[in-house]
Formats: sequence, C-alpha cells, structure tokens
Amino acid sequence: MYLALDSHEQEIANAAAAFLRAEFPLARLHARRDDDARLAEFSTLGWFGLAVAEERGGSGLGVIEQMLFFLELGRVAGPFGVLPQALALQVAADEPELLRALLAGEENVALLVERDGSGARGLGGDNCRYALELTAGESTLFRLAREQCDDVPCLDRSVVMFKTPASALQTVARVTGDGLWLRAQVCVSAMLLGAAASALDMITGYAKERETFGRPIGAYQAVRHPCADMAVRVESARCQLYYAAAALAAGHDDAALQVAAARLVAQHAARANTDANIQLHGGIGVTDEFSAHLLLKRANLLWRLFGSGRDRARTLLQVDDLDGAGS
Amino acid sequence: MDLHYSEQELQFRARARQWLQDNIPRQPRPVGGEAMAQFDRDWQRRLFEHGWAGINWPEEYGGLGLSAIQQVIWYEECARAGAPHFINTTYVALMHAGPTIIACGTPQQKQFHLPRILSGESLWCQGFSEPNAGSDLASLKTTGAVDGDDLVINGTKTWTTDGQHADFQELLVRTTPGSERHRGLTWVICDMRAPGITVQPIRTMLGDEHVNTTFYDDVRIPLANVVGEIGGGWRTAMSTLGFERGTGFIGEQLALYERVNQAIKLAGRTRLEGGGLAIDDSDFAARLALIKADTLAIRAMTLAQISELREGDNPGPKGSMMKLMVTGTAKALSHLVADMLGWEFLEYNDNRNEHPLTYDYLWSWVYTIAGGTSEIQREIIADQMLELPRAR
Ligand SMILES: Cc1cc2nc3c(=O)[nH]c(=O)nc-3n(C[C@H](O)[C@H](O)[C@H](O)COP(=O)(O)OP(=O)(O)OC[C@H]3O[C@@H](n4cnc5c(N)ncnc54)[C@H](O)[C@@H]3O)c2cc1C
Repeated sequence: MYLALDSHEQEIANAAAAFLRAEFPLARLHARRDDDARLAEFSTLGWFGLAVAEERGGSGLGVIEQMLFFLELGRVAGPFGVLPQALALQVAADEPELLRALLAGEENVALLVERDGSGARGLGGDNCRYALELTAGESTLFRLAREQCDDVPCLDRSVVMFKTPASALQTVARVTGDGLWLRAQVCVSAMLLGAAASALDMITGYAKERETFGRPIGAYQAVRHPCADMAVRVESARCQLYYAAAALAAGHDDAALQVAAARLVAQHAARANTDANIQLHGGIGVTDEFSAHLLLKRANLLWRLFGSGRDRARTLLQVDDLDGAGS
Repeated sequence: MDLHYSEQELQFRARARQWLQDNIPRQPRPVGGEAMAQFDRDWQRRLFEHGWAGINWPEEYGGLGLSAIQQVIWYEECARAGAPHFINTTYVALMHAGPTIIACGTPQQKQFHLPRILSGESLWCQGFSEPNAGSDLASLKTTGAVDGDDLVINGTKTWTTDGQHADFQELLVRTTPGSERHRGLTWVICDMRAPGITVQPIRTMLGDEHVNTTFYDDVRIPLANVVGEIGGGWRTAMSTLGFERGTGFIGEQLALYERVNQAIKLAGRTRLEGGGLAIDDSDFAARLALIKADTLAIRAMTLAQISELREGDNPGPKGSMMKLMVTGTAKALSHLVADMLGWEFLEYNDNRNEHPLTYDYLWSWVYTIAGGTSEIQREIIADQMLELPRAR
C-alpha cells in the first residue's frame, strides 16, 4: 500500500507542469484565444496518447498518469479540447487511420454535453470534425458536420459552444461499459482539483502582498482562515483523487465508488475555492484583467460535465465493503 | 502508487477480524463511574494478553513493532467489528503519554510506565490547559518549585478528561520563576494519588462528568519524574501534541466510515414528516453523499499521510488538516442524523448508551474544541503551510 507518487509518476507530473506553465499559462487567456488552433502541440510531446497502448502509437501508461496530466491542465485552465481528444482515442482504438490522425492532432474532437432527438449541444471549435459522447453505459464517437452547427456564446471564453442538428452527427465508433466513463470522471475531477489548487495559490500570493490598515491582508483571520479551509479542500481532494485513480488502475470492485467520491470532493473544492478566491481579492477580483474569474468560469463548465449529482449520490449511498478491506 | 496489500498484511487483517469477532465484549460499556474505567482496563488487558496492544509501539517497549499500515488495518477492523471505541480512559496513556515517554523519557520511566500503559494497569490524564490558558497554552501559570529532589506544584488545571480515573497525569508547569511564554516550563509525570490533589468534576452539556478541574496544593513530585529537560517542557509538550493531533486520531479517521454507512442504513428506513424515506429526499441524499465522499477522502488522507511520512516523522500542519476534516465531517454527520430523526432526536436522558445519536450530536462540539480548536488548527495551517503573515 503506497498512496503517494513514485519517482516515475512524479516525473510525469513535473513534465506536464513544466510544459503547461510555459506554453499555456493561465494569463494567456487574456490576450489570445487560440487554444483550439494549438492542440497539435500536445501531440508532439505525446500528451494525448498517454494512456494508449505503445503498439498503437501511444505511451502505454494508464489512468494515474492521465490524472496527473489533467490536474496540471486544470491549474492553467488549459485547452479544453485536449480532454475529448484524449478520451476519443479510447473509442477509436480499432480504427487505425483515425487513431493515427487523432494522436497526431490532425483531427480534433468536440465533446457533446447534452443530446436529444433533435440535436445536441457541444463544446469545440471549427477545427473539430468529430464529436464524442460519453454516458455511464457507452461511449460514442461521431463524425461531425461542424459547418451545420450554430455557435452559441460560452461563459468560458476559451471554449467554443455550439448546437448541432441530429443530422450533423454520424456514428463512427462505439464502446460499451463504464470504463471510459470512469476514466473521464477521473480526468474531470483532476481538472476541477487543478482549478481549486490554482485558486488557493492565487489568493495566498496576494494575501502576502496586499496591505490594508497597514498590514498584509493575510494577517487578518477573516482572510487567513478561509485560505486554510481552501488548503484543506485541496489536500483532501488530492488524496481521494490519487486513491480513485489507483483503484481504477488496479481494477478494484469499489472503483466506481471511489471515483464518485473523488469527483464530488473535487467539485466541492473547485466551487468553494474559485468563489473564495474572488471574494478575498476584493475589487480586483471581479475585473476582467485579473485571472480569478477565468478559474471560476472554467470550473462552472467542468462541474456540469458527465452525470448529475443525483447519479453520484446513488453510487455513494450504497453500503459496500471497501476493496482491499477484504470481504 | 500501489493499493495492493502484501500477503502478510492480508493475513494480519484476517487474524484481527477473527479475533475481534470472538473477543469483543458483549456487554455495553457503562456510561460512567468506576465501572466504565474498569471496563476500559479490562478490554486493554485482554488486548495485551492476546498480543494486540501497542500495534505500532517498538518491540523493545512491549509493543508489536508493526507498520503504520497494519495499524490502519487494525483500526479498520475494530470499527467494522464494533469493538470498544479507542477514545476511552486509556486514550491519553496509549495515544500520547506513552509515545511521549518513548520519545523523551528516561530508561527508568520507560521501564516503569510503558508496560503498565500497555496492559491497561495505569490510566493517564492530561494536565495542560488552565482556566486562563487554553488556546494560548504558553500563558500557563501553575508553578513547580524545585525543593531538594522534588518539584512542589501549586495551581489549577482544567478540562482534565477522566482525571477522576487516572493514575498518572501529563502535567505541564512553570518551573522557572518569572519566566514567560514557552520558556521555563517543565513536563512532569504527576501521580494522581499524591497528597494535595483535588479533582472536581465539571458537568458538561452532554450530561456527563468526564472532565474536571484539578487543584494542586503543595503537591510533591520527585524530580526523577521530569520527562525531557527541566525548563524544556515546551519541547516535550509539542511532542505530546504532535502525537495527539498527528496520529492520535487515526482510529476515528477510519471509524467514521462505519458511522456513515450506519447513517445511510438509517436514512433507508427513516420516514420524514411527509412520509417519504430520508434517503429518497434530495437534500438529505446530497448531504449524505458529500459526507460519505469526505469520509473516503479522510481514509485516503490517512493512507497518503503514512505513505509520505517516514517512520517517526511528525505530520506537522497536515495533522491540523486532518483534525479539521475529521471533526468537521463528524459534526456534519451527527447534525444530519439529528435532522433526520425529527422529534425522536429530542428524547435524551443523559445516557449515551440509550440515546447515542443525540449524544453524538452534542459531542460534535467537543471534537472541534478539545485538542486545539478548529480556529487554532486554521492558524497553524495558515502559518506553517501557507506561510501567511502572522496574525499573532
Ligand atoms: C471536553 C473537553 C475535554 C478536554 N480535555 C482536556 C484535557 O484532558 N487536558 C487538557 O489539558 N485540556 C483539555 N481540553 C482543553 C482544550 O484543549 C481547550 O478547551 C482548547 O484548547 C481551547 O481553549 P479554551 O477552552 O481556553 O478556549 P479559548 O482559548 O479561551 O478560546 C475561546 C475561543 O476563541 C478562539 N480563539 C482563541 N485564540 C484564538 C486565536 N489566536 N485566533 C482565533 N481564534 C482564537 C477559540 O478557537 C475559541 O473559539 C478539553 C476541552 C474540552 C472541551
């Protein structure tokens, strides 16, 4: 039993952090909104294919490494398109040509977030000629006629939202089972945690510098105690996320339970921390030029993804033995 | 990361599970008085005689010298089996006095006290807080004057949990006259039967009398009972608090999971005013789901903490994070159960065995105050972890 990063895992986390902080710092979102055009940069370093088998052109790593990468992506509110792209690889595993194009970043994938008989709502720019839909029971990759879609404005300005008629979607590949669903939950939880952690870093930095009444605001308990609570949320979410990813990687029976817990704790951390970060910054916190709102808006998008609170509660409110605790 | 238990650990779990099943007391623990303390001593003696006492204490002091993981397994199995709760009259002795003596005591102190602690023969209490020194412990005023081979103690301690049952006390006093704050303090083993000690119970809002005020009137304690340096008591005390906040809670961290599952079962059979089951009510379900998720996170934090720490290290401010999580989640849980029970919750006759859920609700404030308040834990995190400018 070892619930901490080994040196190889730490290396992956460090490499992801170094790449993302240098190439996609959060502040980039103030200047240019060209995330969609830059997706191929992730393929050069093999980030899309982290969890794709080596013989299929990926790195042959697993959900733990993916989790570490998406945590770092979450910190900088990195290009959202990386998520559906990485997940789609698992659906396209048996389509060699498509798999190659996705790994290379030549084709891009949108994420469908709602769908009914008449059409769907998706996230992804003009560059996407495929769309991915995940449900708890099956995952479907569609060919997307993006030119038939209508863009709608999105609160998170780094993401393009669109509506598509049903006729613009044609099924290309499908996998059944909840494997990809749980993996996606881990990735989203990691991004939520990243946002929560980034919010904590932002406010602790500011609390040391900003002075009022002749003292740094970090010396006031009305500021420092909420910061301590933010740190506790980050730490608990981190530990649970590590456990959930490791349980999923090991194929434990309680993986779905652990993943649901990771998601809920991370989501709670992201909500509360991105909120407190703005409040504790005062006026600057609500300005466009400051970065706090970028985390809030991204977190708002993330916590709406992949299933309802009701579903997660149902999973969590079963009474089972924990895996490894023997039965 | 690797969630796999070794063959040896799995066997240990199976053995613990079987033994607990066969040996946990069938009678409930008495709610107070000497009978309660005797129940605790008997259970500890049973653990000791069957080789389950001092799971992670070094073997040379009579412990089992097992790994932190095995300690986690042991507490998980205790919770699962419904074994007597580990926060009882043996708690101070086993969870912080013993470890403090192992870390800072003399060979004679170790030889005398450690076996008695493990076998349940001696019970301990903690004499740190005073009427005017709680959060600000370093402002304590009880004095110890050196007189020949003795310290002569005068003053008042308070909140002494189980002081009326204890044989010994971890006593923190000011031995350098005129000294201030952390300097000039001494941590000494006080025999609770010594002449000059008066223990006066304080009735709490739970309706019990477990805490006390302890008065010292020229109480003589041999200098040989000083643990650590005379005048260096703050260091010894920090070691005690390190154990109390760091690993002293591990049983509770893991027991919470069983408590949450019991609450889920309760929600599955409790009807709310409108007639529906609590578990089908979206508000209750959402609150309970978050509590369960936090409980799993606490378990993961426990495992992460022992994975990240090297043997003997102190978890430092992460212990404060743990205390906030555990006490906050336990509070949320007991309050949720109270809401669910409706009027039944109000049925309370000061007897924890008869009305455990109402008792748990009242106990939730003990959790967030005793052992350093939640506010003080936040101060520690802000200072030591976030390195924010000091408020004090
Ligand atoms: C049931 C129970 C059992 C106990 N058992 C023992 C025992 O066996 N032995 C022992 O020695 N002690 C024991 N304690 C004492 C416990 O450690 C103290 O009660 C605790 O540390 C708080 O001290 P206080 O009660 O003096 O409150 P105070 O220090 O007076 O605090 C009052 C309030 O002010 C807040 N506060 C204080 N300072 C600050 C600050 N700097 N910043 C922000 N907020 C602050 C506190 O959080 C609290 O809300 C026990 C307490 C209880 C309730």
